Amino acid sequence: MNRLLRVLWGILSSRALPPLVLGFFLLLYIGIAFFFDETLIMLMAITRRIPLLAALLALLPLNGVCRMILEAGRYLKRRQALSGAVVPPELYDETLLLSAPGGFSQLEGRLSAQGYATRGSGHHLAAWQGVTLFPARLLYLAGMFCLFAGILISLVSRGVSRQAVVEGAPFPTAAGNGGMVEKIIFEKAAGPILARNLFIKVADSGMGEGEQTFRLYPPALFRGAFVYPRYLGISLAYRFFAPDQGGVVENRAVLPLYPPGKEASTVIAGTPYRLTLSLAKPEDGSDPYMTGKTLFLFKLLKGDELVLTGSVPGGGEFVRDGYRLAIPDARRMVITDFVVDYGVLLIWGAGLLFAAAFILWLPVRIFFPLREMLFRSQGELLQACSRAEGGGRRHAGVFHEALDLLELSKSGVKAEE
Amino acid sequence: MQLVFKLIPQLIAWTVMVLLLLRGMPGRRGAVLISAVTGFSLGVAGYLLLSRLFPVTLPLGIIRSAVGGSFFLLWSVAVAALYRSTVRDFPLLRVERLVGTIYCAWGAPLLTGMVAGGIGASGLPRLDNSVLQLLAPLLLLLAGALLVLGARSAEQRLTSSLGVTPSAFLAALVALLLFSSSSSILLDLFAPLSMKVMKGTHDFVHQFMESILIPDHVFIRSAIWGYIGFLFGKEVGFWGGMVIWFTPALLIALAIRLEPLPSVAHIRQGAQRRRLLADAIRTKQYRLVIPALALVALAAAAYQSSFPNVEYWDPKPLAVTATPAGEIFIPRKGEVELEDGRLHKYLYKQGGKEVRFFVLLTPAGKLTVDLDACAICKPDGYGQSEGMVLCYYCKTLIPLDTVGKPGGCNPVPVPFTERGDGVHLDALTLVNSWSRTVQSTTSSKGGK
Amino acid sequence: MASTIIETAGLTRSYGDICALKPLELSVPEGEWLSVMGHSGSGKSTLLNLVGGLDRPTAGVLKVGGEDLLGRDEDGLARFRREFVGIIFQQHHLVPYLTALENVMLAQYFHSVPDEAEARFALERVGLGHRLKNRPGELSGGEQQRVCIARAIINSPKLLLGDEPTGNLDHKSTTMVLELLRELRAEERFTIIMVTHNQEVAAWGDRTIYLDDGVLVREERKTG
Ligand SMILES: Nc1ncnc2c1ncn2[C@@H]1O[C@H](COP(=O)(O)OP(=O)(O)O)[C@@H](O)[C@H]1O
Ligand SMILES: [Mg+2]
Repeated sequence: MNRLLRVLWGILSSRALPPLVLGFFLLLYIGIAFFFDETLIMLMAITRRIPLLAALLALLPLNGVCRMILEAGRYLKRRQALSGAVVPPELYDETLLLSAPGGFSQLEGRLSAQGYATRGSGHHLAAWQGVTLFPARLLYLAGMFCLFAGILISLVSRGVSRQAVVEGAPFPTAAGNGGMVEKIIFEKAAGPILARNLFIKVADSGMGEGEQTFRLYPPALFRGAFVYPRYLGISLAYRFFAPDQGGVVENRAVLPLYPPGKEASTVIAGTPYRLTLSLAKPEDGSDPYMTGKTLFLFKLLKGDELVLTGSVPGGGEFVRDGYRLAIPDARRMVITDFVVDYGVLLIWGAGLLFAAAFILWLPVRIFFPLREMLFRSQGELLQACSRAEGGGRRHAGVFHEALDLLELSKSGVKAEE
Repeated sequence: MQLVFKLIPQLIAWTVMVLLLLRGMPGRRGAVLISAVTGFSLGVAGYLLLSRLFPVTLPLGIIRSAVGGSFFLLWSVAVAALYRSTVRDFPLLRVERLVGTIYCAWGAPLLTGMVAGGIGASGLPRLDNSVLQLLAPLLLLLAGALLVLGARSAEQRLTSSLGVTPSAFLAALVALLLFSSSSSILLDLFAPLSMKVMKGTHDFVHQFMESILIPDHVFIRSAIWGYIGFLFGKEVGFWGGMVIWFTPALLIALAIRLEPLPSVAHIRQGAQRRRLLADAIRTKQYRLVIPALALVALAAAAYQSSFPNVEYWDPKPLAVTATPAGEIFIPRKGEVELEDGRLHKYLYKQGGKEVRFFVLLTPAGKLTVDLDACAICKPDGYGQSEGMVLCYYCKTLIPLDTVGKPGGCNPVPVPFTERGDGVHLDALTLVNSWSRTVQSTTSSKGGK
Repeated sequence: MASTIIETAGLTRSYGDICALKPLELSVPEGEWLSVMGHSGSGKSTLLNLVGGLDRPTAGVLKVGGEDLLGRDEDGLARFRREFVGIIFQQHHLVPYLTALENVMLAQYFHSVPDEAEARFALERVGLGHRLKNRPGELSGGEQQRVCIARAIINSPKLLLGDEPTGNLDHKSTTMVLELLRELRAEERFTIIMVTHNQEVAAWGDRTIYLDDGVLVREERKTG
């Protein structure tokens, strides 16, 4: 049992695990690519479906945690060794036993002259220089954990519902009790990344949520779902009359008409007509979606046959050859995904952790990586260990020199005897 | 004469491969030499036999899979090598042990030889003269065997400090295989790799942005979107392909660079310590030669793939016009012989639109009319080589038997009627079909 | 009884008509300090250069460390010089724009790889721990010569050759340098062959040989 646990721990905390698991998924991806076009979506789908695959993926965050524990343990052991505790040789780059007397005062002086901080007692001496990379490493491992845990959670639990959020209509919710969308504001932004900004202002729903404003990034949470605006469009009401039809057709349509020039069409219910609309580009270069001043270009088709083209301003009417088309009402609309997915938070967190790890790692690794050495007498013998997280060659030189010195002092002692 | 010229790069690659095999498995020269010659002969014979008995796509497919598989193996070994030299307690993949064994000494040259022989045989032209037809493979076999002997004597002359690590050894072998297979557009792997990378990157980036809820391009500053847009373009296929292509050899070189130096702490004389370190460093530097060679071979392969020097049957499209009723007619006999089994391309212009299509007699004896474009690639068109047509864009091979069937990268079939005098088709259908196809494959992929 | 480190038989070096070294028989036991004296032009430097592998004899046998030096090719000879011999000249031949430390590290570099800690230690051993970062121009003649000693011993040679190393030094510096050589020899146990004009300097050796016109005319062993 104990043995089994140890093997399990060995596997879970192994550095070989991530490349193996990722390699396996890569192979799977390649395999799927032979048979399906939408490879990635397919891979995600089967990982979601097959618990074994999900479990395999779960090994990655688990490995992250295990490595964190393992490496934290090693770090602590090394710290204790600095203050004279037992030195586990496998945690160092170089370890050797030599027969030399204790008494490190001369060595301590030499090492501190070379810029090493030292700490010693009669039977041990520790010397180090620089800052450990361990915090950066820990952040990196935490990032790994968050990334893969996020991916896993996202894969198995993500739920998306796509809704049209329309100005002047209730905020779409399953229960139908969303507050009224008071205004959709679309404006130029001055940020380094976003060129335009979007705000959806929602009035109090009476559910105790108060007034809410949803913005673009980071997306806000609404009743457990991220509000993720996708496309812009117009929700419009039209009135249509054709000479060959009985009466006036009145209807609403929600059309993805942004940016200006983009066409979308709707079938006029109860008639053989189809309406293709687009927003005209205003001559002054303004954005009709921002200003709210809309002019619709339309094409009227009957079957495949083009009957009429023309333009109608929002709130206006078009009349020709007995045809009438009026758009009494045009409102801003945002096609919005409501995404229930807490994995996203972890993935964002992973991004931050990676960035932090890198920012910490780079200067330390370049300018003051940790270099340490330890000498500890054990009876007749002397254990010497050394380790460097960077700048190893120079450090090894100092270490070897220190050993030479100990050897010399040994012969000196002998000579006195 | 041209045959000789065409095969020279492959034979050179073969010689270097044998040289590497000899260097990589010292002490087993006999086994290496015998199995290399055997493998090469088997490869040549096997290719010729299979290409007689089955459609030529079968042996070509086998070679492509073998080379592709070896590339994947190389990737795993490269990652493992990097881990091994940077992580002290890394238990994975002790390939070195395998390399020393007798199985490897027989198996590796045999397999390498078979693939190399197959590639060589695939480069032999089909000749009308039956004597030559028999002579060419024999000459190839002879050349292959002689070069093995040449490689042996060259290897003995090589400096003994030129060491090979098992992973570097594999890198160079695979690189050389990729190099020789890239000399034939039918066997090339780089172009399809680029294609897959493009698709994969597109999928991945799209999925990623959606996963972490990044706003759409409408909201993003166009300069920034330009960078993201790069990931959706064609270049990303090429550059991504390059990265995947070269990375394993680079990783192996890096693994050699990062290999820890031997511990010399037990030596109590500085000069002796430094001497040992200097020797270790020098050995490492020599070991980098082979991965560097692999990189050169890979670069040559990518170059050959990007600028193939193969001639395809690709006639200049003949302009055709439609009758006032909107019918295009292509006579069975006349300016061109429609039923000679070759690709005949036509160009139809209407109102600023140009439609390219072709007529072909399939091996089954049926005429087929297709767009010179497929449903998934940019409309770069097709060229014909023996037994197949090739999409210029993604370098996919389509056997002639399946031309006229829709799907994948097959040319998009066009409905037509065949009468005694020739082929009749409807101009409007043709134009619509072209517009649909071209619109869906050239429209910008960004923004979704 | 120590083994022989240098053994020559009929060693000859001539420059055209001039015979700088007539056939010479010489045997040096390991660990000895041998002084070489003679007038200017008597072939002292020629002998030293041959033994140090800087020059090749015209004829004769020259065995160093039990191996015939003549059998070595250029590479082999270079390796011999790198790993077996340390040389100190009258002129210091230090690189003027490098510090003392860097000058010693340069010798390490030509031998194998530089190692700063070891170079620093070597300079400390010759008493220059406080002048590591000084360029040769900022050092006195005696200090320069001590840098040269550090440089000569850094690669742990078996054979230390000096061609009038104290020729330019005053009495005090000379004594200091010789004292230092004696200490180092006690620790490292290398063999010293030193050319000198000065009877007093020669007296530091275990044995002195006298050359005249390329011929070994006399030898004196230190007694007591
Ligand atoms: N490179 C050379 N070319 C010609 N003659 C030389 C050369 N080097 C030394 N000699 C001659 O060889 C003789 C011995 O010189 P050397 O060994 O330098 O004398 P010492 O060091 O005892 O003063 C001198 O006569 C000198 O002129
Ligand atoms: Mg002289």
